[in-house]
Amino acid sequence: MENNNNNNAHRLFPEDPVSRVKALRSILEDKGLINQESLDLILDTYQNKIGPINGAKLIAKAWIDKTFKKNLLEKTDKVLAKLKLSGRQGEHVTVVENNAKTHNLVVCTLCSCYPWPLLGLPPAWYKSDAYRSRAVREPRKVLEEFNLKIPRSKNVRVWDSTSEMRYIVLPQQPEQSIGLSESDLVSWVTRDSMIGTGLAKPPEKFND
Amino acid sequence: MTRIHDMGGRLGEGKIPRENENVNFKSEWEKEVFSLTIALGFSGLWNLDASRFARESLEPVDYLRFSYFEKWLAALINLLYENGVIDDLEEKHNEQFEKKFRKLEPENVVGVLEKGGPTIREKKKRKRFEVGETVRIKNFHGNEKISGGHTRLPNYVKGRIGKIIDYHGVHVFPDTNAHFLGENPEPLYSVEFGSQELWGKNSSHPEDTVVVDIWDKYIFDDL
Repeated sequence: MENNNNNNAHRLFPEDPVSRVKALRSILEDKGLINQESLDLILDTYQNKIGPINGAKLIAKAWIDKTFKKNLLEKTDKVLAKLKLSGRQGEHVTVVENNAKTHNLVVCTLCSCYPWPLLGLPPAWYKSDAYRSRAVREPRKVLEEFNLKIPRSKNVRVWDSTSEMRYIVLPQQPEQSIGLSESDLVSWVTRDSMIGTGLAKPPEKFND
Repeated sequence: MTRIHDMGGRLGEGKIPRENENVNFKSEWEKEVFSLTIALGFSGLWNLDASRFARESLEPVDYLRFSYFEKWLAALINLLYENGVIDDLEEKHNEQFEKKFRKLEPENVVGVLEKGGPTIREKKKRKRFEVGETVRIKNFHGNEKISGGHTRLPNYVKGRIGKIIDYHGVHVFPDTNAHFLGENPEPLYSVEFGSQELWGKNSSHPEDTVVVDIWDKYIFDDL
């Protein structure tokens, strides 16, 4: 069987993206296929309602609550469903834990799969050709560009999100933060620490 | 055979670009492309695998010169064209799609986003392999049914030996689903590959590994 999709129909449209979207919108509007309120709601969800704070709260709780951590690692989808964190692009999630021996890093070499309900939309670099190409082949060099030098005593495990399984890293809790409350810990969990291109670290205010 | 989107391990890429680190959208048109793509994704005319296929089927010259959301936009136009929503710029009418088309109404937005599209299926398909087993990935030339079709098997693991470290249940098979040939759910595993197995002796660290999600059909019967 031959694949016969048309990959050049878009060339019928204006080249410049602003005009291109405008032309597309006017066709869809004329045909009554879109509702502006729905489009606004979609945007509002990903601009304002979800973001890395969702993941950070999970990690902070996992650091101080051993039972929660165990469930988060072993019954991830159940825990996330209960917390209403299992929507689009987060239907199936695996939490991978950093420890003294292993540093985890997440990538999608084929497109840009990312756990939206937990981290929001991916940063531009995550979607870049350079990150997608290099993260699997030379993860240590990539991490050095993020000012993260992984000691030779640790191994790096890279997770390539090829299926609908999404990955989030459970970073190690920094020594200095032990004893802090769950709500204080949330600001130690950076977005990059949950992708693996960073570590959990003190919030900027902490050192003042 | 591979397509341009299959980038894992590709040589020649430079530094990771770090501009707009905390910006979801650089301009208004990007916001429009995003929300239109999500809304029309619920139209029932295509599925997630088909929309990925539309993006990766862009001609390499377009794929590389387009920004991220320009790829989404071109793919969306192509999908609308393939489904008869757009015939040409003259807007000839095609009633075929209208029977299938579901318009996303505001009262349904929160619900559909929260529900998402789980790909796990109850169907009992026996898994051929167990966690802990060593397996070899097939070395086929892309999609086995459709020449040039969609696949989620990255080129860099083809023919390589890895170890199954996790089992995720039975999931929709993208290679058929993208072409509306059925979901054909398949057992899904996480397979771990040593860096030297993938990249040779010059790999960054012999203990480093890459884990890839692999459907049962992507694995050879024997090593």
